[in-house]
Amino acid sequence: MVTRKQKRNNWILTIVLLIASLFFLFPVIWMLANSFKPDAAITADMNSLRAFVPPVLNGSFLENYITVLTNTNFIRYMCNTLFYAAVLIVLGVVVNGLAGYALAKIKFPFRERWLMIIMLLMIVPMETIITIHFLIVAKLGLLNTVLGYILPMIVNPFNIFLFRQVFVSLPDDVYEAAQLDRCGPLKYFFTMVLPMSKSVVATVSVFTFLNVWNDYLWPSLVFTSGDLLTAQIGLNAITSNDNTTTGQTLAVITMVTIPVIIIYSFFSKQIVEGVISTGSKEG
Amino acid sequence: MKRRKSESLMGMAFFGPALVLLTIFLFLPMVLTLVFSFTDFFALNPKLTHFTGLENYIQIFEDEDFRQAFFNTVKFVIIIVPLQGLGALGLALLINKVSHCKKYFKVAFFVPVVMSLAVVSTLWIQIYSPEGILNSVLGVMGISAQPFINSASQALPSIAVMSAWQGVGYQMIIFLGGIQAINPALYEAAEMDHATPWQKFRDITLPELKPLCIFVFITITIGAFRMLVQPMVMTGGGPSHSTYTVVYDIYETGTVNWEIGLASTMAIAFAFFVMILTVIQTILTRDKEEKDGNKKTKKK
Repeated sequence: MVTRKQKRNNWILTIVLLIASLFFLFPVIWMLANSFKPDAAITADMNSLRAFVPPVLNGSFLENYITVLTNTNFIRYMCNTLFYAAVLIVLGVVVNGLAGYALAKIKFPFRERWLMIIMLLMIVPMETIITIHFLIVAKLGLLNTVLGYILPMIVNPFNIFLFRQVFVSLPDDVYEAAQLDRCGPLKYFFTMVLPMSKSVVATVSVFTFLNVWNDYLWPSLVFTSGDLLTAQIGLNAITSNDNTTTGQTLAVITMVTIPVIIIYSFFSKQIVEGVISTGSKEG
Repeated sequence: MKRRKSESLMGMAFFGPALVLLTIFLFLPMVLTLVFSFTDFFALNPKLTHFTGLENYIQIFEDEDFRQAFFNTVKFVIIIVPLQGLGALGLALLINKVSHCKKYFKVAFFVPVVMSLAVVSTLWIQIYSPEGILNSVLGVMGISAQPFINSASQALPSIAVMSAWQGVGYQMIIFLGGIQAINPALYEAAEMDHATPWQKFRDITLPELKPLCIFVFITITIGAFRMLVQPMVMTGGGPSHSTYTVVYDIYETGTVNWEIGLASTMAIAFAFFVMILTVIQTILTRDKEEKDGNKKTKKK
């Protein structure tokens, strides 16, 4: 029962929101459009609507991108970060998953107490201990090494808890049946538990990837030299160089965002569910 | 009996790797932070370390930089929380109402969330630059050029607006989820009573969303307290310390000046603050779940 007045109001609302969304997105639109322009054109277009329109397709259209990719270590930084993310996803799922499974299904001393401790750890802000992380990694002689960067990032109380919550509702009779087939606990975990819990594995993997890709403070502390930098630190190193033009800066930050956009478009369901569940679980 | 023993061994084996890492990278750092906070530990000359009792705790509150960092952080929280929280709620309510292009709106306002803090900060250095696009847009509207992040009075609000812009889409999605979870029967009943849209909003939507609002506003507050990357990339804490935050001070004191003792004290004070907020959040929102539980059992 939609009246004509309601229909008209809805159209007005749509148009108002459309305009609002364009205003809201103007920095992103400006970034994309100007990443294809030389600096002279960026300045020249600044005072007209052309500032939000990409230039005509011609020979120099991709010049900023090509310069960044050929003259800087940018590709290297991107590959580094992809590698760190892959390692941390595998180690994170195994270590936190095993711990979550133990807390959910296996009886061992002080299990309930450990669960309490894990939940308490979730509220400790990481910034509190980052100085000591830095000190420990420095004392171990692991500053500016991949190992020094990765080791403190593997275990994550939040992920342990997430795994535990999912594993606790797995049926027990499957485990008993598997035991009759002489399937050991480790084999059972990898061949049955993980495949049965694909969605939580996907959620943890996606959030680990985003965390590694977007993290700034920790890699900026651990990595001091050029070869091992992550994309975020590398982007800062490239864009704070005086020789980098505005157009190149915009090209760099566009490219750093592309992998994240790919992840979001493939896993938007998991991410949105994850976002909403953080709200509804605790709120 | 034997079986039970082997099961508990297996449990330890499964939990073991996580426990080792938790010990080295969480328990140990937490204990060390607490211990160091009572010393004058200076990492470049560790032999000269003394136990100083509460001296650091007094010192940080007398320290000009830390005090300024604290007030800056509070100021940042005061600006960003209503901006981002109410912005997200408003957007969610409007997008819930709109009947066309719903999907587009959800994506459009979520786009900045996808971008990292370093990317957003780098982009907005350009946006906020004296001859930048924002000033030229303002120029068209007849407003004179603003210094934004180059002035001590505008830098922090500028960073707050940028951060709210980046984060608002995230909370918008949470609110949309909350709005859609409201029982439609409530609105149908209100319709029968010829309630106006405002009455429906005031008497149904708002009370139903209240627990979610508490959750979202405290989450934004905690996030704002932890702010660091934006000033690190954009202003280096300046101009004249106007964007220096608590976490920035911890970071510089500990890892640049190597004054681990003092940095630990700051970190303890900071953690204390954030954890109080988290506990308040947990208590306030748990309350709601219990009430919900009661409601459900009553209905049955």
